[in-house]
Amino acid sequence: MNDPRTIWQNQPKEPFRMSVDEMRLRAQRFQMKARFKVVYSITIGLSICVFFGWNCIRAQEVLSRMGFGLLSVCGIYFGYQAYKWIWPSDLPPDSPVSTSIEFYRSELERRRDYSLHGWRRSGLTFCFLGLAMALAPGLIDSLHNPRLLVNTVPFFALLTVWFVAFLYLKKRGQNKLQREIDELRTFERAES
Amino acid sequence: MQSTAVQNASQTSLYEQVAETFGPALDRLARAYELDAEARRDLLQDIHLQLWRSFAYFDQRCSLRTWVYRVAHNVATKHVMRQRRIRDRLVNIENFDFMPGPDQAELAASQTEALGRLSTLIQRLKPLDRQIIVSYLEDMDASSIGEITGLSAANISMKVHRIKNILKRWFGEGGL
Repeated sequence: MNDPRTIWQNQPKEPFRMSVDEMRLRAQRFQMKARFKVVYSITIGLSICVFFGWNCIRAQEVLSRMGFGLLSVCGIYFGYQAYKWIWPSDLPPDSPVSTSIEFYRSELERRRDYSLHGWRRSGLTFCFLGLAMALAPGLIDSLHNPRLLVNTVPFFALLTVWFVAFLYLKKRGQNKLQREIDELRTFERAES
Repeated sequence: MQSTAVQNASQTSLYEQVAETFGPALDRLARAYELDAEARRDLLQDIHLQLWRSFAYFDQRCSLRTWVYRVAHNVATKHVMRQRRIRDRLVNIENFDFMPGPDQAELAASQTEALGRLSTLIQRLKPLDRQIIVSYLEDMDASSIGEITGLSAANISMKVHRIKNILKRWFGEGGL
């Protein structure tokens, strides 16, 4: 009566049934969810590329053209980096549990590293350079016509807000990931 | 195109065979990792889903049983590891050496209460130890447990010895 193995093996069962079709559907959903983030980033990157590419063709000034061209290339670069660093890699499904925990930690480390070097990996330096080049002719013109400068104030205000929010969220995300990585390391040490 | 269809068919038939043979054991395994009924159903679905996906890679280098348990424990471990509040409270099997077992009145409890006590014990363990105790409760020997966990036979024997002592303290003579 008190044998734990008997108790364990004779515990009441819960009915569970999943058809193969349902399984396929769930597998597809699972894949889609894992890859949605990357596809989303690539789509944004391509949209940026097309938008600035179009502006590059239409711009009159050479400097603006170069700036929009640079921004357009930045869009592709952003999508590529997202694919390279966020696309989920696969662990052999039958690996031992210790490998599984290690793998989970290394995935977190990969994400933290992407976030840590996010400025470079998102191509933001070139992005700002391109933006400066694209806007420079307009800003030079506005020196003679200050009303033009006033028109750009909302844009620069929004850019500043975005920049501050970007830095804050980046720092917060990094701290959260680092905390989780540290906890996992302690966990792995205690388990070994 | 044809080889993909053959692969899909073998993946499906392998899954159906496993669901039939190991269904109840997988149900118990999910219970060892999740107490909440709703979350357990989700976990069990996830285990079945990952098993089905994994059969596309099954190369018969290990037995089907080993493969099934490895995949299932991996999915369940990830489930536990993602819950920080739970993860922080887990202990090693060695920690139970210093914990007092239940008194004699509790030992003579009903089967449902005994199952509850056993579940409580398992739920407090870290994934690797949990994997060992669940395998032991499923009547597996040290070499089979070693195959699933990737630990040496000596290490498993030592852990199983500890588990037996703890179960003896928590469930009386029947624990041995």
